[in-house]
Amino acid sequence: MSEALRVRVAGIEMRNPLMLASGIMGSFSSSLNRLSEHAGAVVTKSVGLAPVEGYRNPAVINYSHGLINAVGLASPGAEAFSEELRGYAFYSPLIVSLFASTPEEFADLTTHFEFADGFELNLSCPHAKNVGLSVGSDPELVKEVVRVTKRATDKPVFAKISPNVRDIVEIGKAAEDGGADGVVAINTLKGMKIDIFAKRPILSNISGGVSGEGIKPVAVKCVWDLYEELSIPIIGSGGVTSWKDVIEFMLAGAMAVQLGSALFYSNRIFYSLKESLIAYTRMTGERLEDIVGMAHRT
Amino acid sequence: MFTVRVKEVIRYGRNIATVKFSSRFRSYPGQFIMLSHFEHEEVPLSLSSPDGVTVKAVGETTRALVNVREGDILGVRGPFGNPFSPSKNALIIAGGIGIAPMLFLYNSLRGFGASVRVIYGAKSKDEMVFHDRFENAVFLTEDGSYGAQGTVIDGVKRENLDRYEKIYVCGPEGMMSELLEVFERKSVLEKSEFSLERYMRCGIGVCGSCVIDNGLRVCADGPIFKGSELF
Repeated sequence: MSEALRVRVAGIEMRNPLMLASGIMGSFSSSLNRLSEHAGAVVTKSVGLAPVEGYRNPAVINYSHGLINAVGLASPGAEAFSEELRGYAFYSPLIVSLFASTPEEFADLTTHFEFADGFELNLSCPHAKNVGLSVGSDPELVKEVVRVTKRATDKPVFAKISPNVRDIVEIGKAAEDGGADGVVAINTLKGMKIDIFAKRPILSNISGGVSGEGIKPVAVKCVWDLYEELSIPIIGSGGVTSWKDVIEFMLAGAMAVQLGSALFYSNRIFYSLKESLIAYTRMTGERLEDIVGMAHRT
Repeated sequence: MFTVRVKEVIRYGRNIATVKFSSRFRSYPGQFIMLSHFEHEEVPLSLSSPDGVTVKAVGETTRALVNVREGDILGVRGPFGNPFSPSKNALIIAGGIGIAPMLFLYNSLRGFGASVRVIYGAKSKDEMVFHDRFENAVFLTEDGSYGAQGTVIDGVKRENLDRYEKIYVCGPEGMMSELLEVFERKSVLEKSEFSLERYMRCGIGVCGSCVIDNGLRVCADGPIFKGSELF
């Protein structure tokens, strides 16, 4: 294990800055265990208090530069999901992603997952009603959600925020003011695809969230802007596919990154990126923690 | 996603049909496609030939697919997943609609000049398809309406498994877990390949809906797994 890859995000020790993003292979302990062998930390699929069936298929499609999904926060609900996560082996820290529509529900959700190392608040899912982005586009509500959730748990709380708002920095600031231990930027961008022969939208929900390589420049810019204004750690997310993307996000100001759509290429991606990052740090003689935000010097 | 036209529908009774498309996919036996019926849902289906699927009506969407008409438009994503690996001396074991990918496999292996034996079982004769397509085969039905009376397991127990280079399996979950036990006892797990089925959303390894007990994804790491990976 390379010391140069270690990062510490809001008190959570990670052996490398590579986290599994929420919504990707995070519904079962078996897949989380497999990925956590090489990931720095894993984030579960988002869970709410009650079970949610999600949208009908097609719910995920690939296009030439990434994916578009409208899974619709499908989840077995807090009670069943906490049972499922009992099988998690903790090869790396576990962060449970939560969705709810009120501050009190968020706070209540944390009590189902006492064993988690941290929580991520989904304030940014673009395709679910009354939760996700509906909560996360109102700065006052974001601040209140974070404040009330922080009171309910002593674990680190991260706010995952969306670029589909008037000003992502304003939302990031609100989370910081509410006491968030960090922000995760960005969630998917709103998007859709129409089949030109069938002449109708492909996703059953008509539109969904765009992820993957196509959104990376947008995500880097968001991380950059947040780094300029916030003093809490930023976790970068959006199109991270190669080790170069990891370095780019860290230079923009991310203390760690999340990988999601890139799992499309390989379920061994954490291993291969980790090895590449080791080679990079050997070449430069740097510790990854030391390059965070380095591109901002003028 | 791209679209195809339905070129031909071959029906076997009310509940099963082979739907042939206007175009052939570059594909291998064991791979599947995500097939959309635009009025209903998108479902994962194994290819039964490079240009078609064989589907049994078990729900709303599969019912609609069994009832499609020539000229209808369907949406396709794929082909996805890892195929069966080839062999020169093969045993194919199929239960029920699990025969669908096996016809594709059979034809492809025979095309390479392989010798192939088939053990194929179903509940009754109405649920049997393709039984006229195999040369060296044992057929079983639970009610004895076609072939020998019994289950696939009975047929497998009478077979000398050591004779084959590869054993390919597709069928109901219960049949497959019983065969895993049989193969373990006979030390043939390593040369067996199973085709698994799960509810899928994305089909491309990201959503995690089809993860099995060992943490692997049926859509992207499968749907074909070695018996030794599953036992």
